[in-house]
Amino acid sequence: MRLCIVVVFSTLAWGQDPLLPLLKQHCGGCHTGIQAQGGLSMDSIDALRKGGKHGPALRPGAGAQSLLVQHMTGEKTPRMPLGSPSAAGAVEAVTAAINAMPMTPTVAKNDAHFEWLLRVPTAVPAAPTKRAGWIKNPIDGFVLANLEQQGMTPAAEATRRTLLRRISFDLIGVPPTPEETRAFQTDPDPQAYDKAVDRLLADPRYGERWGRHWLDLVRYAESDGFAIDGERPTAWRYRDYVIRALNGDKPYNVFVQEQIAGDEFRGKKPAGAGDRLVALGFLRFAPWEADANSKKQLRQDLLNDITGTVGTVFLGMTTGCAQCHDHKYDPIPQKDYYRLQAFFAGTAIADLPVGFDEVERPKEMKRLMRQHEDAAEAAQGELDQLREELKKHYMALMKVGPADEGLKKFLGKLNTRNLFFLEQDLPLVKEPEWREPLKAYFAARDGMQRETELARRFQASAYAVKDVAPPATPELPDTYVLSGGDLAARGEKVDAGFLTCVTGESKPADIPFAGGSNGRRLALAEWIASEKNPFTARVMVNRLWQGHWGEGLVRTPSDFGKNGDAPSHPELLDWLAAEFVAKEWSLKAMHRLMLTSATYRQASVHPEQEQYAAKDPTNRMLWRMNWQRLDAESLRDSILSISGRLNPSMGGPPVIFSVPEDIAQGFEFFKWFPSSEEEQRRRSVYLIQRRSVLLPMAETFDAPNLSTSCARRLTTIVAPQALTLLNGTLTRTEAAHLAARVSGTADPVGDAFWRVLSRGPTPAERVQGEKLAAQGQAGLASLGAVLFNLNEFLFVE
Amino acid sequence: MDLENKLTRFRTRRQLFKDCGFGVGKAALASMLADGLLGAGQTHFPAKADHVIFLFMAGGPSHLELFDYKPELTKWDGKPTPESFLKGKRFAFMDTFSKDTPKLLGTRRTFKQHGNSGHWFSDLVPNIAGIADELTVLHGVSTENFNHGPAKMFSNTGSVRAGRPSMGSWVAYGIGSESKDLPGYVVLQSGPRGPRGGAALWSSGFLPTAYQGVPFRNVGDPILNLSNPKGVTPEQQRQTIEALRDLNQMELEETGDAEIATRISQYEMAYRMQTSGPELIDFGQESKETMELYGAEPGKSSFGNNCLMARRLVERGVRFVQLYHTDWDHHDDITKPLDQVAKEVDRATAALIKDLKARGLLERTLVVWSGEFGRTPMGEVREKGKIGRNHHIDSFSMFMAGGGLKPGIKHGASDEFGFSPVEEKLEVYDIHATILNQLGLNHTKLTFRSQGRDFRLTDVAGRVINPILA
Repeated sequence: MRLCIVVVFSTLAWGQDPLLPLLKQHCGGCHTGIQAQGGLSMDSIDALRKGGKHGPALRPGAGAQSLLVQHMTGEKTPRMPLGSPSAAGAVEAVTAAINAMPMTPTVAKNDAHFEWLLRVPTAVPAAPTKRAGWIKNPIDGFVLANLEQQGMTPAAEATRRTLLRRISFDLIGVPPTPEETRAFQTDPDPQAYDKAVDRLLADPRYGERWGRHWLDLVRYAESDGFAIDGERPTAWRYRDYVIRALNGDKPYNVFVQEQIAGDEFRGKKPAGAGDRLVALGFLRFAPWEADANSKKQLRQDLLNDITGTVGTVFLGMTTGCAQCHDHKYDPIPQKDYYRLQAFFAGTAIADLPVGFDEVERPKEMKRLMRQHEDAAEAAQGELDQLREELKKHYMALMKVGPADEGLKKFLGKLNTRNLFFLEQDLPLVKEPEWREPLKAYFAARDGMQRETELARRFQASAYAVKDVAPPATPELPDTYVLSGGDLAARGEKVDAGFLTCVTGESKPADIPFAGGSNGRRLALAEWIASEKNPFTARVMVNRLWQGHWGEGLVRTPSDFGKNGDAPSHPELLDWLAAEFVAKEWSLKAMHRLMLTSATYRQASVHPEQEQYAAKDPTNRMLWRMNWQRLDAESLRDSILSISGRLNPSMGGPPVIFSVPEDIAQGFEFFKWFPSSEEEQRRRSVYLIQRRSVLLPMAETFDAPNLSTSCARRLTTIVAPQALTLLNGTLTRTEAAHLAARVSGTADPVGDAFWRVLSRGPTPAERVQGEKLAAQGQAGLASLGAVLFNLNEFLFVE
Repeated sequence: MDLENKLTRFRTRRQLFKDCGFGVGKAALASMLADGLLGAGQTHFPAKADHVIFLFMAGGPSHLELFDYKPELTKWDGKPTPESFLKGKRFAFMDTFSKDTPKLLGTRRTFKQHGNSGHWFSDLVPNIAGIADELTVLHGVSTENFNHGPAKMFSNTGSVRAGRPSMGSWVAYGIGSESKDLPGYVVLQSGPRGPRGGAALWSSGFLPTAYQGVPFRNVGDPILNLSNPKGVTPEQQRQTIEALRDLNQMELEETGDAEIATRISQYEMAYRMQTSGPELIDFGQESKETMELYGAEPGKSSFGNNCLMARRLVERGVRFVQLYHTDWDHHDDITKPLDQVAKEVDRATAALIKDLKARGLLERTLVVWSGEFGRTPMGEVREKGKIGRNHHIDSFSMFMAGGGLKPGIKHGASDEFGFSPVEEKLEVYDIHATILNQLGLNHTKLTFRSQGRDFRLTDVAGRVINPILA
């Protein structure tokens, strides 16, 4: 509806445009009436918009991209007017006139999809159903109504064992213990399931599990990427912020605002306000080419990343598509892209001094930083001494004095190269008499480097952004439409503004001055995190749905546009979005609602499944529960949890996992210092997210590449996964520990099955198991490895 | 069936596999991944080649010292570069040039024409010169970014930023692998330093990870976890695999779940990889003559070994083999260090092409030799008494062989100094389009939807270089 109004309004507005007389005078000779050359008539603005055989002659708001101007400048041939170049100033005048025209969204009038999407969602009750007894909460009403319409029935409720495994993997990323399963199976309380959901939602491992989903989305990484891939030593504080926010059920609207404008909040800072600055890391996680030739382009790349990521993450709109041209499918003109970007024009990257909050254990952080600084200093002393010895060694061996050029070069290389590259540069040092002193030197240098790196990770600093605008600098940098996204092709200047398809107008955003900064980002954050925004709540509840069902109601969770997937249950999505707002943006309330629905509690098999699958092969109708493969992190965490060796400590600097020696030695710009074995048994969310060094096992099991926002992981089944689980260190080591754990019990085989699969073995399985167990500890370890490789373990029913 | 339908079908089948606990869709997945987008052996149009071996020369080899003979540049040696050549050009590290106008540098190499083709080669690459008539040489190729990292990314993925699929992944996605026990896309590395950009260069980006380049390691197992775990005897391993098969089989019989069947088949493939791996890396089957031809030595990490391995991989059905050889970045000194790396590469490159031809494989294998860019016609002085060349993106040279191209011809040319293309500007996207074309793939139709957009290797550009096609 709104779109139609815009179109009508804009046509009226340019009825009296001064452009027409100008064009008629210069071009009217050929381009008029029904005989117009190339089918292009310049009799009216509408005729120009319709254009001729080459398409529309003008695009309101985009002069430089309009064919009319392109032919006048000669960018497109033939140059017009034919034979006589445009009068002085004509190109500029026409461009300006077109720029001044209000933009009209390129989407077709009366598009049903956008009519739905651009309307603020409201809760409309589901249609009445026949099998109302099945319904446990309003979600089920919508699902059942759809099923009944198709003549289908929902699947039966899953068994208690299946349900507990399902919600455990789903909410905390590890399976239930045998004790938990047995207790749940025998709990006579009719509220037993609801109690279990509440218990898991209150478990701090919930934040670790769901924090990982969010980190995927915000392209979280602890290094720059590109060739140098320098570490971002304090980026981890954002990861902990996310985990804390989720565990504390921070309202989603606040969560959004903190990440976009945590530094621009009005009013007094409450306790824990440091988190708001840490949250700004969201704006900075783009890959960063530290040695880029063009700093201007580097900054533009960052702004482009932010503009695109804000659109996909919070709005579920692929705003990034409008960087070079108007969006091809959605009503987002290119100008809107730059209007959105203008909210960030005053934003600069910054490491902000932010003290640790009480929950971040400030004393321990300080102590550890000191400890590593001291160690680095001690190592430096030792290093200087060894360096002096190497200098003497060189002078004696080469028979040169202290002023020798070669010596200077050698000493320089001692600082910058590692032993491997030093040998490449100076083959001389491969000689045996160099081996010992060089080995000692590089060991000391490694030690110092390691301690320095560690100390940096404990700094009370936030990897964030700041405003460079007033009052810090006299004025805000301007934003221009960049033709083709090219920095060198500046077009019209634009002001910060919200998406015109939502607001129905193209005037600049109203930006109230916010405490000590320019307030632009806060204005945007408030617009996004508003119940009036048609996207925000829908997009987030859909992400939650995807987290629980494996697929969202919209299966392209970051693209709600025309080219994305149409919602399977639009009324349900709207109802959930409205409920989300009504529950004050509480994520946990939404989890509870989804998990306690009968829809979620269905079994993953259905008596009519052959017939239903033929009709609805991808289960869009939700006639049963989907099977889901464990993701890389849950798989690793579960194996460690089952063997009893998962180190449960939370938070803090990243854990550096071990990699094969040849990989560890192969980095030109950094060295790899693995954490202690005990540290390496912590949850996967705490492992370092270094863009150039992914955990091989996680990579094999479809972990994201960390460069761009990942809204939904792909699930592949490939042979290297089998190799990893069959032969990899993780499985084998933990299988041995599982064997040790169960070997003292009355029934080792049964206990192993219970720990891995939450059930005892069938008689046939027991025969197999006992055959292996008969070989003692090694046989039990083989059994453990077998269980970790079972489909039943890898796939959640 | 048009491609759009096939794409839909492909997605649907993948979805089917993901979402249903049963059904034919899932069982077909494993073979889908191996077969590629269009199905086993299917291409957009008949393919001229089945395999690609891309010899990537990381660092930026100097076209002016190797292939692009510029007598005029030699005449101008030491003279300031005419203004007209520098205007509007961008160079890396301009500050390392002296404040005066940069001086031109003529090559110190001796160039000669070779074979019936008359290709010019310098004395640095005598072996490559010896197979001149097999080669299709391209001059005046240009690229987009003059930093190593982004330029390599661009050569490999068509984007200077990480996150897009590499060309090998696109190929594997498009036509799958012929091999049932080896990945479709394998990466081999040699030279003193890893290629900057690392794994992102062979990443599958937003394509499924099954299409990712698999780097074969030079030490230990060529693929991680290929060997039995340490401390586990072969007998124990056999028992483990048997027990696993039996237990999964029981579940399969109970539930009729085809997904389980798929995973069982993956364990079978893993098992085949385990058994074929040692055979693959065992150069013992190669004759003494072949080993000498390549300059290969068992157990060594070298370009020669990797070239031989590339042939063995192609023989076993791997679609796309990419070799990285580093150390072509000659800023300081364009003499001795260049001699060294040319020596490392020349013999094995020629050996590979000769050997492929002798075995009848060259016809269906496209060999490509290229760096991420070339080097400036101006000299660069970073250290007194030595002279090198800087990165140059406007014009560089590369060559290809086999794979349905016209051998012994050249295409494109640069100006008298090797600054800019003069005949036809060839872009990296054109190379991509041509490689896909030889494999029977239309570069405008090989797409994958991500974040609301259908992506291509060639983005919105790319033209097949028709004049070089046989």
